[in-house]
Amino acid sequence: MMDQIAEQISLIGQRIPKPDGAAKVLGRTQYINDMVLHRMLIGKILRTDRVHARILRLDISKAAALPGVHAVITGDDTPMIGIGVNKDNPPLKSGTVRCIRDEIAAVAAETEAIADQALALIEVEYEDLPAVFDPAEALEDSAPQLHEDKPGNVGLSYNISYGDIAAGEAESDVVLDETYDLHYVTHCCMGPGCVLAEFDAMGKLTIYSQTQYPYNFKMDLAPTLGIHPGDIRVIQPPVGGAFGSKLDVYPFEPICAFLAQKTRRPVKLVFSREEEFIASPTRQPVRAHIRAGAKKDGTLTFRDVNCLLNNGGYTSWGATVPYVMMRTFSGHFRVPNVEFKSTAVYTNNPFAGSFRGYGNVQATYVTATLMDKMAEAVGMNPIAFRLKNAQEPGEVTPQGSLLKDCALADCITIAAEKTDFLKIYAANAKVETGRYRRGIGIATSLHNAGGAKIHKSDGCGTILTMDDYARVTLITGASEIGQGIDAVITQIVAEELGVPMASITIVNDDSAIGPWDVGVHASRTTFIAGNGARRAAIKAKAQILAAASKEANVPAEEMELRGGHVVQSDNGVSIIRLDRLLRAMHFAGEDAELVMVTDYYEPPSEPEGDNHYGDMSAAYAHAAYVAEVEVDTMTGHVRVEKMTVVQDVGRVVNGLGIEGQIEGGIAMSIGYGLTEDLRIEKGIVKNPSFRDYKVATAPEMPEIAYHFIENDTPEGPFGAKGIAELPAIVPAPAIANAVYNAIGVRFDNPPITPEKVARALHGGQDGGDQ
Amino acid sequence: MPWLKFMAATRSRSGFNMNEIANYIAVDTIEEAAETLAAGPVTVLAGGTDLMLQTEAGTRSYAATLMNIRRVAELRGVGLEDGSLTIGALTTVSDLLADPIIGAHCPILAETADQFASPQIRNMASIGGNICNASPAGDLLVPLIALGAEVALVSKADGALHSRRMPVEEFVIGPGASKLGDTEILTFVHIPSQDGAAGAFRKFGPRPALEIAIAAVAVTGRIEDGKFAHMRVAFGAVAPTPVRGRAVEAALEDKPATDETINAALAATDADISPIDDVRASAWYRRHLIRTLTQEILADVFRA
Repeated sequence: MMDQIAEQISLIGQRIPKPDGAAKVLGRTQYINDMVLHRMLIGKILRTDRVHARILRLDISKAAALPGVHAVITGDDTPMIGIGVNKDNPPLKSGTVRCIRDEIAAVAAETEAIADQALALIEVEYEDLPAVFDPAEALEDSAPQLHEDKPGNVGLSYNISYGDIAAGEAESDVVLDETYDLHYVTHCCMGPGCVLAEFDAMGKLTIYSQTQYPYNFKMDLAPTLGIHPGDIRVIQPPVGGAFGSKLDVYPFEPICAFLAQKTRRPVKLVFSREEEFIASPTRQPVRAHIRAGAKKDGTLTFRDVNCLLNNGGYTSWGATVPYVMMRTFSGHFRVPNVEFKSTAVYTNNPFAGSFRGYGNVQATYVTATLMDKMAEAVGMNPIAFRLKNAQEPGEVTPQGSLLKDCALADCITIAAEKTDFLKIYAANAKVETGRYRRGIGIATSLHNAGGAKIHKSDGCGTILTMDDYARVTLITGASEIGQGIDAVITQIVAEELGVPMASITIVNDDSAIGPWDVGVHASRTTFIAGNGARRAAIKAKAQILAAASKEANVPAEEMELRGGHVVQSDNGVSIIRLDRLLRAMHFAGEDAELVMVTDYYEPPSEPEGDNHYGDMSAAYAHAAYVAEVEVDTMTGHVRVEKMTVVQDVGRVVNGLGIEGQIEGGIAMSIGYGLTEDLRIEKGIVKNPSFRDYKVATAPEMPEIAYHFIENDTPEGPFGAKGIAELPAIVPAPAIANAVYNAIGVRFDNPPITPEKVARALHGGQDGGDQ
Repeated sequence: MPWLKFMAATRSRSGFNMNEIANYIAVDTIEEAAETLAAGPVTVLAGGTDLMLQTEAGTRSYAATLMNIRRVAELRGVGLEDGSLTIGALTTVSDLLADPIIGAHCPILAETADQFASPQIRNMASIGGNICNASPAGDLLVPLIALGAEVALVSKADGALHSRRMPVEEFVIGPGASKLGDTEILTFVHIPSQDGAAGAFRKFGPRPALEIAIAAVAVTGRIEDGKFAHMRVAFGAVAPTPVRGRAVEAALEDKPATDETINAALAATDADISPIDDVRASAWYRRHLIRTLTQEILADVFRA
């Protein structure tokens, strides 16, 4: 009984492999694609081949008559109740199609082959309508109107105004006027879109979904299905990537449910890769016109930003990315006078959704390259110019973000020191000969790192139970979509309860079991769900120590949990084995108790009010990334040789997880900056395959050097901040700045493809434009 | 059960392909293959790396009979006789990369194999398949044309096997089109003795790996008495087929190995090629890349 339990090394900051990793590597993970339910049918969607047309005739009779076909449905069979942000997108379109991805019919059949055959038997006649693809043209009076209730094709607008632009301009010594064209890219999840829907005999829907927001998903899905949200159960098998693409209801999900409803059988619907490219949301393309000024001493004076967003045919989260963009334009660096206006304009293109980094990928590409241009214009180096305008801890941005532990200046200084930036920058800029030129570039950004209060609640529910063997079941509302929350929560709970990580089971795949959470987005899960898990564990610990106190007659505050025991805090001597205590608590007659605690963590942040003002996150984080590149001035190829990462993470929780997030973000951002380009011409996706849509592959990954700033943000779990989006935001503009350092050419229209570089250096005349 | 595996692999988006295949035959000899071809419409399966993608995408459909030739042992491997090479049609791209005879006598093919797709595809893709696919961007076609390679085509008629030979340069006639007869099988690739000639292959795509060429160049020849000699040049992805660079060859042949000659050769590249604008690259960029890659080879390899 006098066992001394050695003090545990803290789990926080350790390198913990993802618990779902082994099964994925071994090919044992069962995705929805792998699932087979009894009597299950296969669903398929017929999409239009027009960009804007009236449906004159849609004849499904031959398809319906095909043996093995159980249902063929069209917009005539399903309610014209829209889904998405503007509720403008009925799952199956009737009457008019507005973009190439439009769903016009769907079948459920015994096999995929029969379903395909049935689609081919559906006859459609159209009358083409005038189409518009450019957002500026779509705003003209003469442009075709896409939605009756959206005059002028305006989908959504966001505007803020702080300070006085004219006054800012008047005191400027330098004013830059720049236009950026930011392109379409798409998520490229390895697992294509899929869903499996089943109604029980009582009319309740169970939907196996890839969604990353299971609780509000029910709310968004129910109206179009005409059922109560409470009659939907969302089960979330492992997903092959999400990155924001599963943060809305998309037509294939209600369509699958309609098919299941009609056939009274389970129906599974899986996208082909081509369908994934054509019919998944993209990143929001943005045409950004920015005027910005500075004084001779480098002080920023104003930013005046006008953004046109190509909204496509319907409205998903893409149209709302200005919400995040404006925080960067107004709050990244000290800018006294800011105006930001954005308009999302309907066109006959496919539409955008949310995508890791949200609008900050676009806003940071603009601001981080513009900061370099401005530094040059006022004759300062990129480091000194940024430091001149970096906020201090405690400053409040015009929109009300309290930068209480602002590490921006530290990020810049450390990044410059670690890379010997100024020396290399100056040396590179002098080289004007040779086929291969080297460049170095820095970019910085700011992102919410303590959730984002864009809904009524930014909370997360947690339920923690312990069994008679001191095994812990932690039920959290937070989904695992590959980002690594299971490992983080396991670490946090094990740390608080002094139990081995192997004794903890995380349950977060069933909306009938889990408590509410707003969803996986906004870099929030470690911060919000981590806090929830920690608070639940602390409550459980209090209950356990109170019981131990009664059992052993030692004050609770003189004990702690360690190594599966209750020990004396001062000398680590075991008082009682934890499992024995739990059994004693459980089988105590009238005083019996189980350890079963709940927590709902709502972060101390506020929703935006007028003029989009509000401290909407419980923490903010900065990062500075330095890219070192080599440019082949003949082929135009840009190779990223090294990426130096300096990021304020509050506190590292999982060392492996954080590096994995950063590596993945860099790969994604290299794609954004250099290779990825979803080519949409006159509404048609020209490269819907991995052959012609170029994601970065292993050889393109640079050496990565990590420098984490760990200041323990007060509200974070063990001091941690959310970290997941900045790695997908900052690298691309760092690369663009490095390319400029190498060859003296700016690219305000990413991706910086070899052909664009070659054209800039060698002046291509003939042929089609890139 | 290779048949069952194949059924699973061909379950395609259009769903029809599987039904189109009425017969599956796995042959063991060239003669059996030729007999099967003589008997009626046949789709030949070698590595399958192009066939699978094309049938899956619906750009190509299966004939009634699918003939697997992968069991024809004599069609795989590399032979050497008097400096000439004979390469079996089933020899994989990985084989070319590792084969010591190729490495010693025809390193340009190993160099090309090293830039071909990905290791997984290289393990499956065959040299014969890459030739018969006749892609304008087919990597192996470019050095094979520069090497003066010939293909052997075998058919069976009137109870006897017939064989004919034809330069690769003549064999490919358009995108996806070749002079392969309906009843013929490509059996071997013959490469004449290079007799110590140098050679190099360069391709460019936006990525360093797993990439379709948007321009490719192969050059063979040597420097004799300070002059370019026996020069053969081929270009890929800049015309309906990989093409011989005859204007460039003429600009080089018997001329001093100087910058001036090289510049004249680069100026001649435009006459040899007819690139198009497409989703991968513009015609301008393809022309620019052809000059860049040709310059690289002539300056770095031949004058090194």
